[in-house]
Amino acid sequence: MAEQLVVEHLSKVYERGEILALNDISFSVKKGEFLVVIGLSGSGKSTLLRCVNRLIEPTAGKVFFEGADVTAAPPRQLLRIRRQMGMIFQQFNLVKRSTVLTNVLAGRLGYVNPWLSVIHRFPPSDVELAMTNLDRVGIREQAYKRADELSGGQQQRVGIARALMQQPTLLMADEPVSALDPATSHSVMKYLEQMNQEDGVTVIASLHFLSLARRYGTRILALKDGEIVFEGSPDDIDEARFKEIYGEEAEHVEVR
Amino acid sequence: MAKRPNTLKSGKPRGPFATWGARVGAFLVDWALWGYVGYATMYLLNFYWYTNIHYYGRLTVPAWGWPIVVLGTLELAASSHAFTQSLGLSLFGLRVLAPDYRFPSVGARLKRFLWWQVSVLSLPVSLIKRSLRSQLLHGRLSGTGMYSAKEVGDDMPVLAPRSWYRTYRGLLVVVLITVTVWVGWLSTEINLHTLLTRAPKSAYMWKALVTPDFVHLFTPDPELVVAANPDLPASIFAGLIQSLFMALLATALGGVVAFPLSFLGARNMMGFSAVGWAVYWVMRGLFNIFRSIESLLWGIIAALWVGFGPFAGVMALSVHTIAALGKLYSEQVEGIDPGPLEAIAATGGRRWQVILYGVIPQIVPSFLAFTLYRWDINLRMATVIALVGGGGIGRVLFYYKGQVGRIDNAWNQVAAAIVVIVIVVWFLDYVSGRVREKIN
Repeated sequence: MAEQLVVEHLSKVYERGEILALNDISFSVKKGEFLVVIGLSGSGKSTLLRCVNRLIEPTAGKVFFEGADVTAAPPRQLLRIRRQMGMIFQQFNLVKRSTVLTNVLAGRLGYVNPWLSVIHRFPPSDVELAMTNLDRVGIREQAYKRADELSGGQQQRVGIARALMQQPTLLMADEPVSALDPATSHSVMKYLEQMNQEDGVTVIASLHFLSLARRYGTRILALKDGEIVFEGSPDDIDEARFKEIYGEEAEHVEVR
Repeated sequence: MAKRPNTLKSGKPRGPFATWGARVGAFLVDWALWGYVGYATMYLLNFYWYTNIHYYGRLTVPAWGWPIVVLGTLELAASSHAFTQSLGLSLFGLRVLAPDYRFPSVGARLKRFLWWQVSVLSLPVSLIKRSLRSQLLHGRLSGTGMYSAKEVGDDMPVLAPRSWYRTYRGLLVVVLITVTVWVGWLSTEINLHTLLTRAPKSAYMWKALVTPDFVHLFTPDPELVVAANPDLPASIFAGLIQSLFMALLATALGGVVAFPLSFLGARNMMGFSAVGWAVYWVMRGLFNIFRSIESLLWGIIAALWVGFGPFAGVMALSVHTIAALGKLYSEQVEGIDPGPLEAIAATGGRRWQVILYGVIPQIVPSFLAFTLYRWDINLRMATVIALVGGGGIGRVLFYYKGQVGRIDNAWNQVAAAIVVIVIVVWFLDYVSGRVREKIN
């Protein structure tokens, strides 16, 4: 199958050369894959995902998405590329004071007539799509509540619905379940799996727990200090590899 | 995080030395401090010498004496840097230490101070020559250095805690407070004797305040008076309405202008490009300058521009409101949660869509609260802006005050205006407080 995303020699240096967050990262993702990025806090997982859609500007290297050069894209083209990449976040990143529906509709901003969006007016078809997507993640009845009235798991599902509004071909999830309890984690991960399997959306998710990575990922990329230390199938991570990625003192923690 | 190499060629640890900004800042603080102590001493000497002994004249520094004063305070600042933990050093988190991070001996400190006299002359050379920049001559020769306490961190020598009155800082604070209150007391001519003996003179006003005369609360003054003073509101009530509207319009105009400007003055909205930074600093500068000029001073300019009357008042209040609200608003914008912004940027939203959908919903409540608070302030200011020709209820108040001696009950009419102001200001204060509570 075709390579959907190609990352070549990507590097990111923060704060006048003091911190090297990503060091010469190269990998590619095929359409329909569920790639899980693992690694300790500060290993560069979040930076990597944000460099893909240039929420963070990479220092060096190239990113190609469906043949288009993301790193060289002018502003307008970047917006068109971004709207094809859904993204969900560790802290959900909802506008807490806005309604759930408004938050979900914001996922449509890359598509709608910009002038109508000034007065918060969306086409009826988009509102309908928003309700359908809320239905899909099982919180249709919460549509008119304020986002901060919802529980953590529900808020992340609003985040997923917002990403669904983009009708993305690639979904990036930056530690989507780190702020959630284990039971809720699985329900959220299952929605990602469902998007991956039913809609054929490619998923790149960064995760803390190896058990979650093994359960959901079709391929695993492990980062340590901004460098790739492992790339391959979940089953290939044995005890030695585990120690290499997480350090000598690490212990297994299971999320069931 | 990678750290800089931290050893000398000889194997001795070195640095990180304090930045030049911090060194200069600390020095200026201590210089100003010693200058202030010198000024206060001079003031007190002067006061007691000429009040109790000479009864005339004033002790001044002759023109040729100023270089001595400047040099003297400079030396005091340098010696306090070498020998103590001065106020400037502690404000900027600096310490004078030996290269092994120990406290230097008294001898080393003395050497540092003495060599300073020479090496300060070579300062321009050191600033140009990069290799000399990190440590000046007096540091090298005395084996001491100016270190940033934060960066030295855990290696800092630990001082056994002393009672506050036995520390340099504790004593300094006591001396500074005592001297300041002492000089201030003399300088502002506070006099308890006058306070008591002249009390009966204010009896008119106290009497009037308990018997305010509301005869012109609603009914206009005789038409003759109004005709002679075209900018005088017809009654206290008319003046009050004018003041209320002045405050309302000044707040509305100020808020409308401050709203877009506050985004230009917010670091997180502008810090993406060199042009953005320039606009940010210009906006912040303008806010600070315009805010530090009080409404009453703006009133003088406005009254010259458009003439006496409420229009001048609204202008004066508006200008100050723009600057004050602009500053408060932009601080709110800087304090928002950046998460939703990146989420909306990630969906392919344009920059202004990010602001519209990510920023504005977050800031609306606090903007409303600040605007209401500002209306409160503006109303209080609108009652006295007439002092510089701004119109409103103050115009009526000061008119009657001007009639003292011509009208019998002038003081009682002044009192009536004051009573009305107190009631309205108190009421608005209460209402806006309640509304702000609701919003938050």
